[in-house]
Amino acid sequence: MSNLLTDVRPERRTSPVRRVLERGSGEHPRNRLVPPRLRRLKDRLTAYGLMLPVTAVFVVFFYVPAAYLFYIAFFHWGILSSATTFVGLHNFRVLFAQPLFVRSLVTSAYYTLVMIPATVLLALGIALLLKDGLARRGGSIWRGAVFLPHVTPVVATAIIWVWIFNPRFGLANFVLTSMGLPALGWLQSVHWALPAVMIDSLWHSLGLYVIIFLAGLASVPRELVEVARLDGARRHQIFSRIIWPLISPTTFFVVVLSTVNTWQAFSQIYTMTGGPHGGAGGPAFATTTDALLVYQTAFVYGHFSLAAAMSLVLFGIIMTLTLIQRWVSNRVVFYR
Amino acid sequence: MASIVLRGVTKRYGKSTEPAVDDVDLDIGEGEFVVLLGPSGCGKTTTLRLVAGLEQATGGELRFDDQVVNDVPPDRRNVGMVFQNYALYPHMTVFRNLAFGMQARRTPKSEVARRVHDIAELLGLADLLDRRPKELSGGQRQRVALGRALVREPSVFLMDEPLSNLDANLREQTRLELARLHRELHITTLYVTHDQGEALTLADRVVVMNGGRVAQDGTPDDVYRRPADTFVAGFIGSPGMNLWTLPWEDDGAAVSLGGALRLPRAFLPALERTGRTVTVGVRPEHLVAADEPAAAEGRLHLACRAELAEHLGSHVQLHARLDPAGGPEQRVVARLGASHRTETGNVTRLAAPASAVHLFDPSTGRRIFEPLTGRRVGTSELRVVEDRRHTGRGSHESERAGHLRDQAPATAQIRTAPSDAVTGARTTAPVLAPSEVAHR
Repeated sequence: MSNLLTDVRPERRTSPVRRVLERGSGEHPRNRLVPPRLRRLKDRLTAYGLMLPVTAVFVVFFYVPAAYLFYIAFFHWGILSSATTFVGLHNFRVLFAQPLFVRSLVTSAYYTLVMIPATVLLALGIALLLKDGLARRGGSIWRGAVFLPHVTPVVATAIIWVWIFNPRFGLANFVLTSMGLPALGWLQSVHWALPAVMIDSLWHSLGLYVIIFLAGLASVPRELVEVARLDGARRHQIFSRIIWPLISPTTFFVVVLSTVNTWQAFSQIYTMTGGPHGGAGGPAFATTTDALLVYQTAFVYGHFSLAAAMSLVLFGIIMTLTLIQRWVSNRVVFYR
Repeated sequence: MASIVLRGVTKRYGKSTEPAVDDVDLDIGEGEFVVLLGPSGCGKTTTLRLVAGLEQATGGELRFDDQVVNDVPPDRRNVGMVFQNYALYPHMTVFRNLAFGMQARRTPKSEVARRVHDIAELLGLADLLDRRPKELSGGQRQRVALGRALVREPSVFLMDEPLSNLDANLREQTRLELARLHRELHITTLYVTHDQGEALTLADRVVVMNGGRVAQDGTPDDVYRRPADTFVAGFIGSPGMNLWTLPWEDDGAAVSLGGALRLPRAFLPALERTGRTVTVGVRPEHLVAADEPAAAEGRLHLACRAELAEHLGSHVQLHARLDPAGGPEQRVVARLGASHRTETGNVTRLAAPASAVHLFDPSTGRRIFEPLTGRRVGTSELRVVEDRRHTGRGSHESERAGHLRDQAPATAQIRTAPSDAVTGARTTAPVLAPSEVAHR
C-alpha cells in the first residue's frame, strides 16, 4: 500500500540550512547555467530600466532646457525662426547697456538684502517663541498657524494681500489710520510697492523657515542649556554663546535657501503688481526684479537670447553668493 | 559646604495623577556623600533636578542650610552638576568649557585662568585645555565635566549617573577618583545611580527609591543587611534576595513553610504577627549546600530541584525551583562553592544561618523583624519590630535589632537525591526528602 510519507521523493527534501545558504548567495539552481558576466549585465539593465522614467523626465524638462539656455545666450535666436547666428558676448553687452537691467539687479539686491535678515530674525524669533512660551499653550495649533500660509498657493495669498494693501478700503491703511498714522499708497507707490511685496513674501515663506529653525533648536541638547543655567549664564548669554553657535548650520541653511528663493522671486511680484493684464513690475519699474525682467524680456517682448543671457547672469550671481556663503560658513558655522 | 533638607517634597508633571516624586523626606549633612539608588523611573533623577533647581517642586519644602530654596533659581543655589552624557559645550575648548561659568559671572580673567589651571592640574587635564570635547576620550570628557562642576567651588555637588557611559575598567578607575576627590574636597554630594556597586562603595548613605518614594534610607551596610521591604531586598544584591511567600505551620519541632522549607521555632513570635502566610528572604550568597535535613538547630533548610548550575570560576550560581505544597512554584538562586556539582533535575538541599533569614509581611512587603547579627546569644532574644514605614535612618533601626544565636556550621556539604526518588515524595511534600517528611 502506498504511503504518503514514504512516497515523498528524497531529492525534494532540502535541508533548512541549504535553503538559507542558497537564498543568501542568490544561487538559484537555474542560474548556475547562466555565465556570471551575463548575469551582471542583466542586473545592470534591470537597474537602469528602473531609473529610466524619472531620468527621462529630468533630462527632457530640466537638463536639456538648461543646456539650451547656455546655447541661445550666445546666439541670436527666435522662437519661430530656425535660423541662429552666433553673436558671442553681444547679448551680455546689450544687457549691461540697458538701465532697466542694471536697475533690476539693484532691486533684486535690495529685495534680497532686506528679506534675508528679516527672514532669519523673524523665523528664529517665532521658532524660539513656539519652542519655549507658546509650546505650553496649544503648541501644535500655533505651529500649524505659522506654517499654513506656506502651503497656500502663492497667487492666492498675493491676491489677498492686494486687497489688504488697497489704498482706499484695505486693512493695512485702516490699521494705520486707526493709529493716527497717514495712509500709504502701497502697491501704487514707487517707495512702498516693494516693501508691500516683501511683507507678502515674508508672510508666505516664514512658516517653512520657522519649522527648519524649530528642528535646529530641537537638536540642541537640553542639558547644555541646563548646565549653562547652573553656571550662572543669563538668557541672552545662553542664546548668544550656546544656542546660536549650535544652530549655526541651520541658520546657514536658511540663509542659502532664502537667498536662492528671493533672487528667484517672481509669482508674488507678478501677481501683486500687474498680473496677466500687464504692467507687472510697476509702478515705474519699482518692483521689477531680475527674475521678472527675464520673464518679460522672453515672453512679453520675445527677446529670448537676451532673456537667456539674463538668466545666466542671475545664475552666476546666485552661484557666487552661495560660494561666498560657503566660504564664510567654513569659518563661522560649527558642525558637531 | 551646605546641608540639604527635603521635607515632603513632591513633583507632579502636568495633570498626571502619579507623582514622579512623592512626599520625599531627606536630610543630607554637610560634606556627606549620599547616593540615590533605584531602578529607572523611580524618581531619583527628578529628585536630583529638584535639588539643582532645574525642576520646580509642586509640594513640600527644600532647604539649603536652613534657607528655603524652592523659588531660588539654579544659578543662585551654588550647585555644581555632572550630567550622564557630560553635557560639555561641543563648540568650546576644554579651557572655555571650564571657564564658561566664571566668565558668565564676570569673574576677572586672571582669576578665571588661575582656577581653570588649578582644577586642570587636580584632574590631569592640563595638556588637554586646547582640545574640543570630540577630541577627547570618554574618561577625559568625564573629567572635564567634573572639573566644570568643581571649578566654581560649589557648596553642593550633584551627579546624575556620571559613570554610566564609561566602560567597566574606566568606571572602576573613575569611581576611585570620585572617592578621592570627595575625601579631599569634602563637598556635600548627591549622586544618582542605578548601579548598586557604585552606591555601596561610594556612599556614606544610600537612599533607595521606588515609585517616587524613599523605600529605605541608611548606610550601605543597612540597606544590604537590613532591607526595609521586599523591594529593597530584591533590588540590592546581585542577584537579589530570594523571596518566597509561603504558608507556615508549627509542627512542634520546627516551623514548616509549604512543606518546602523549614525554620527554627525561634521565629514563631515574629511569624505569629503575620497571619498564616509569610515572605521569607535569604540572599543567594548566604545559602550553602547542606548535608543534614534536620530542622535542627537554628538554621533555615530547604530542598529544591536544580535547573541550571552556572560555573563562574570563583563560585557556582545555582538556579533551582522550590515546589511548595498547594502553592505556585518559586525560584531559588544560590551562590555556592566553586566545587559544587549537581545534575539538572536533582534535588539539592540548601541551608542558611538564622542570622541571614529575613521575614516580610506579604501584604505590605515590609520587614517584620530585625535581622539577626550572628552574635552568639540566645534565641529568646529574637525581637519583633513594629511594622512601620522605613523612611528613617537605617541606623536607628539597628539600635532596636534583636539577635538570634547563629548555629550554622562554617562549612556544609552538598547532598543531592535522585530525581525519581524525590518525585515520589512530592505527592506529600514536594521537595523535602522522606526523612524530613516523616519529621513533619
